[in-house]
Amino acid sequence: MKKSLAGNAAFIAIGVSLGLIPLSGYEEGIIVLLCINCIAAMGVSLLTGFTGIFTLGHAAYMALGAYTAAIMTVRYGIHWFPAIVAGGFVAAAIAWLIGMPTLRLTGDYYAIASIGLGEAIRLILENWQSFTRGARGFPGIDSYTTRWVAVLFFTALGTGMFNLINSRLGRELKASRDDRIAASLMGFNTPSSRMKALLISAFYCGISGALLGGYMNFIQPSMFDMMKSTELTAVVVFGGLGSMSGTLLGSAIITSAMEYFRDISQYRMLIYGLMLVTIMVVRPEGVLGNREIWSFLPGLTPDRKGRDQE
Amino acid sequence: MGIEVQFSTLFQQIINGLSLGSVYALIAVGYSLVYSILSFSNFAHGGFLVVGGYICYGLLAGFSVNILFTVPSFWWFSGFSVDFLLPVPSVNIWLAGAGALAGAGLIAILTERFAYKPIRERTSITLYLLIASMGISIVIENIFVIIVGGRFRALPPNTFPSKLFTLIGGVTVNASDILSLVFAVFFLGGLQLFLNRTRWGLAIRAAACDLRTAGLMGVNVSQLIAIVFFVAGLLAAVGGIFLSARYTLYPQLGGTITTKAFVAAVIGGLGSLPGAVVGSLALGLAEMLTAGFISSQMRDLVVFSMLVIMLLVKPAGFFGRQISDKI
Repeated sequence: MKKSLAGNAAFIAIGVSLGLIPLSGYEEGIIVLLCINCIAAMGVSLLTGFTGIFTLGHAAYMALGAYTAAIMTVRYGIHWFPAIVAGGFVAAAIAWLIGMPTLRLTGDYYAIASIGLGEAIRLILENWQSFTRGARGFPGIDSYTTRWVAVLFFTALGTGMFNLINSRLGRELKASRDDRIAASLMGFNTPSSRMKALLISAFYCGISGALLGGYMNFIQPSMFDMMKSTELTAVVVFGGLGSMSGTLLGSAIITSAMEYFRDISQYRMLIYGLMLVTIMVVRPEGVLGNREIWSFLPGLTPDRKGRDQE
Repeated sequence: MGIEVQFSTLFQQIINGLSLGSVYALIAVGYSLVYSILSFSNFAHGGFLVVGGYICYGLLAGFSVNILFTVPSFWWFSGFSVDFLLPVPSVNIWLAGAGALAGAGLIAILTERFAYKPIRERTSITLYLLIASMGISIVIENIFVIIVGGRFRALPPNTFPSKLFTLIGGVTVNASDILSLVFAVFFLGGLQLFLNRTRWGLAIRAAACDLRTAGLMGVNVSQLIAIVFFVAGLLAAVGGIFLSARYTLYPQLGGTITTKAFVAAVIGGLGSLPGAVVGSLALGLAEMLTAGFISSQMRDLVVFSMLVIMLLVKPAGFFGRQISDKI
């Protein structure tokens, strides 16, 4: 109990410092982008790292969140806060519709189905001209994602996520990841907990997409293609499957590396591709493996170290 | 009258669909072959196709290469720019095609050797291979963006015969469509002979059943995997040449087509070669019939709907091995 309180306090402290340290406009932009990417990565991490369901289509949930928030704020003049939250809920609702039939699939087959569904959602957004303005994109979104909004959402959702993975549901998800049959035999309702993981991860991605729309002032279906989905999963694998702090670290490293190479934009994607391959060749288990970052601190939490290594 | 028009459109689109499907089949078969041995989705497969297409284009038409090399500005060295025209060797389509096939096969072998081999020797988790293959596909795509630029290129005119035949009922057939169909049948037949009549073919079929056991029976697994990748790259290059004749050539072509070939392979049953062919033809027909009767913007939507419906109804595909959860 005490430990989790300390963890929460530490996370909120990180959030407050992200929000208050004086920074230049450019650095503020990076912080906002970092928060947005981290929120989406946490969602995918819950599904891929903690539940063992590989997805290659989560950019579609970001697209749903982004379009929901954009259409609500621009067309109907709704305040940005309910619009962002609605973005998350719309993504989760669609995820529920999609998850009902497809979560029965396991392993590679879910990943394949998620590619198909993700692309289908993107194509629908692209072809539904009257509602989404199609492939030309949706301009004129208010820049509601200021630094404090992004940091606020990041801190709130991050605290929620770290509590979630150590909660009863979190342990249920890890159990069903490690051995679904055994978890079912123990009396866990694994289909229901897998569905919960999908809904929560879609909610996180929806929020992230809605924030991205407010940051870029412009969204386009092609921003949320298969490449973006791959990036989300790659970040999670890079950080370490089954490590939430690893996910945040991986997301931070990749976001800042991409930012560093912005000057040589022509080579950016080449470097990104080489990074993916190199990581997989050199350290496929990711930066932190399946351990959380505090388990590396000597003597702080000896019991957790043993448990998480399992 | 209306019905007659509909009927000739139908015939027209069936022929187009079969021709497109046969090109997809060349790509899907190579992809499925790799899947059957290593059981991972090789997303770099489309890269091999692009390599083949560009080698063929380069040998036929030459390239103007323009490499602008810059580095982050605070380094003392700010970069350089290379700008030259590769000489145009006057080769005919046969030589250019052969060069493309060999080049793409070689790139496929190198990809396996330097990216996949270290991973598969270390772990058995295929997800790592999958992500590495996505990295490779990004690398290949962007190498071409940097070296030859991202613009759309068409093979020089008269590379392929473009005579139009008119059949009964106003159905026109392009000679290059027939040509791609013939070549696809030729290469797929060759693959069939290779797999069924040669010792390496036997080894590949054994490895598709169980790679480890095949290795224990004395098959040189590294060499076998290299051969499989060479064959896959070669077939992808054939597909790439015909695709760049049919549409145009651009660095992102690989990504679009891999997804299609991938869908075709899943519909037919992952890892099954006849399945890949049947799935590709079904996909080509579905695409062309949608384009002819509904709208060509709906093509891709139909493709992905087919994928999802197939996965829900029969995840193993038409010809796939039955998968079941092991308890």
